[in-house]
Amino acid sequence: MSAPAIDITGLTKTYGRDRGIEDINLQVDEGEIFGFIGPNGAGKSTTIRVLLNLLFPTSGKAQIMGMDVVRDSKKIKYHTGYVPSDANAYPHMETEEFLRYCGRFFRPDGNGRRINELTELFEVDRKRKISDLSMGNRKKISIIQSLLHEPKLLIVDEPTMGLDPLMQSRFFELLRSENRKGMTVFFSSHTLSDVQMLCRRVAIIREGRIIKVEEIETLRKRQLKKIYVEFNGQEDNPLMGLQGIEDTPLVSGRTVKFLFSGDINRLLSTLSNRNITDMTIEEPSLEEIFMHYYN
Amino acid sequence: MNSNLFFRELRSNAVTLLIWTAVITALTALTMSFYGVFLENNQKILAMISILPEGTLQFKGISDVDDLFSVLGFYSANNVIYMLVLGSIYSIVLSSGILLREEYNKTAEFLLAWPLTRGEIFFSKAAVVLLNVLVINIVTAIAGYITLEIVKREPFSRDAFLVMTLYTLLLNLFFASLGLFMSTLVKRAKPITTLSIGLVLILYFIFTISNITESLSAIGYVSPYKFVNLDTLNPNYGIEFISVLYFAGLTMLLTMTSFRLYRRKDIYL
Repeated sequence: MSAPAIDITGLTKTYGRDRGIEDINLQVDEGEIFGFIGPNGAGKSTTIRVLLNLLFPTSGKAQIMGMDVVRDSKKIKYHTGYVPSDANAYPHMETEEFLRYCGRFFRPDGNGRRINELTELFEVDRKRKISDLSMGNRKKISIIQSLLHEPKLLIVDEPTMGLDPLMQSRFFELLRSENRKGMTVFFSSHTLSDVQMLCRRVAIIREGRIIKVEEIETLRKRQLKKIYVEFNGQEDNPLMGLQGIEDTPLVSGRTVKFLFSGDINRLLSTLSNRNITDMTIEEPSLEEIFMHYYN
Repeated sequence: MNSNLFFRELRSNAVTLLIWTAVITALTALTMSFYGVFLENNQKILAMISILPEGTLQFKGISDVDDLFSVLGFYSANNVIYMLVLGSIYSIVLSSGILLREEYNKTAEFLLAWPLTRGEIFFSKAAVVLLNVLVINIVTAIAGYITLEIVKREPFSRDAFLVMTLYTLLLNLFFASLGLFMSTLVKRAKPITTLSIGLVLILYFIFTISNITESLSAIGYVSPYKFVNLDTLNPNYGIEFISVLYFAGLTMLLTMTSFRLYRRKDIYL
């Protein structure tokens, strides 16, 4: 049986007195698309930077494909691609020059064929200077460089930030197609919908600790919606009898706000008997989901 | 060492090298072009020097007024400013930024995700620093030699010129290793250019103060300039073993310590 794509045991990283990550335990199977979600500052990037050996662990260990992230860092990187959250590539370089530079770390010829293939897919102008590119285009370059050497493991940190919906969908399709060929994806994001769209399992990190590793299907079954209902006048107990309310509804004037995870038809049918003037259904923020799950 | 990284770094630093080399060469040539006028007005200049405060010549690295009127003495007095100070500033600014730039531009996230060991990154960049420092020293020395040949009124010692050039190179390499060392000590990525320039100027200032004031002569040993001998007209002028040991030893020590620190350095972005 082959080693897990990522195997983290008791990993802690502290910055002096500041918290980094604490006692992280995580296994990502070979060939899966694994989500890693948490709010900003939760420790996602710190975990990734330890995996890539930008940071050294304070304690614990991490392995990628059975190799130690500190000792075997160079070997690991021949098989790993990385899309950083800040797409700050070398600004004075032209796109093609940068991609060939990246490619030459893996193959002496810079892998021009793969550059052509990916730049066409993402509609990238290869003659433009990186400093002249928009945030979205810089992100595309960042994605392309991570896939040039057809890695066995792709680590992506907030990859959709700055990408327009069309490019997001192309990127997701590419990830799925590379995944079908065997590539493992470690997908770090604070956007739950992105993670839900792609991943089989997800780890939730908060304040440096993994608080839950869950099948995405389980999350989906308990899918929460944030509901705002504005009533036409004061009603006593307007949500009486409604099943699926996951928190204590907040009443502000004539508006009631609550988290709902039940049958949406039953919600609409219950509300149709009330005198309402407006209704909004929203995706709850990750923070709200955290509060719901872990309070 | 990784050739892809090495050549990339070499290219990205080429313009800066060209500008610094051109400026120092032009300044040297311009200054040496005044040598003829200087000689023709030696009496006026001697009278002017006599009213200057004691120690002014030492400030320029000259121990004897007569040295100023030899072509090599005139060259070395100005070379102090151009290559010993400007060359050192170039060396330390280049070396202190070459690793750190990746951190404060956040390109380290790409660099460290490629299949490279920390050692390969360090030595590829250190090799670029070494090559650039060698190039600026060789080119400015050749340019200096040509100007000496053009403006000289009587022969000068080529050996003394070579020795002085070697001292300059040793000093510049020392500052280059000091820059690398400083950059590995910086925890959070930030440019350290100002600090690097300030350090060279402070060390030069300590040296000149120690030359001017007898009671402060001991503190001169804090400065590497103290180990640079510019007494080119001294018949025994040559490379001193203690100076070579000092510069080579410290340069090696700082470079290897920097490497050890960089190998274990957390890269914060």
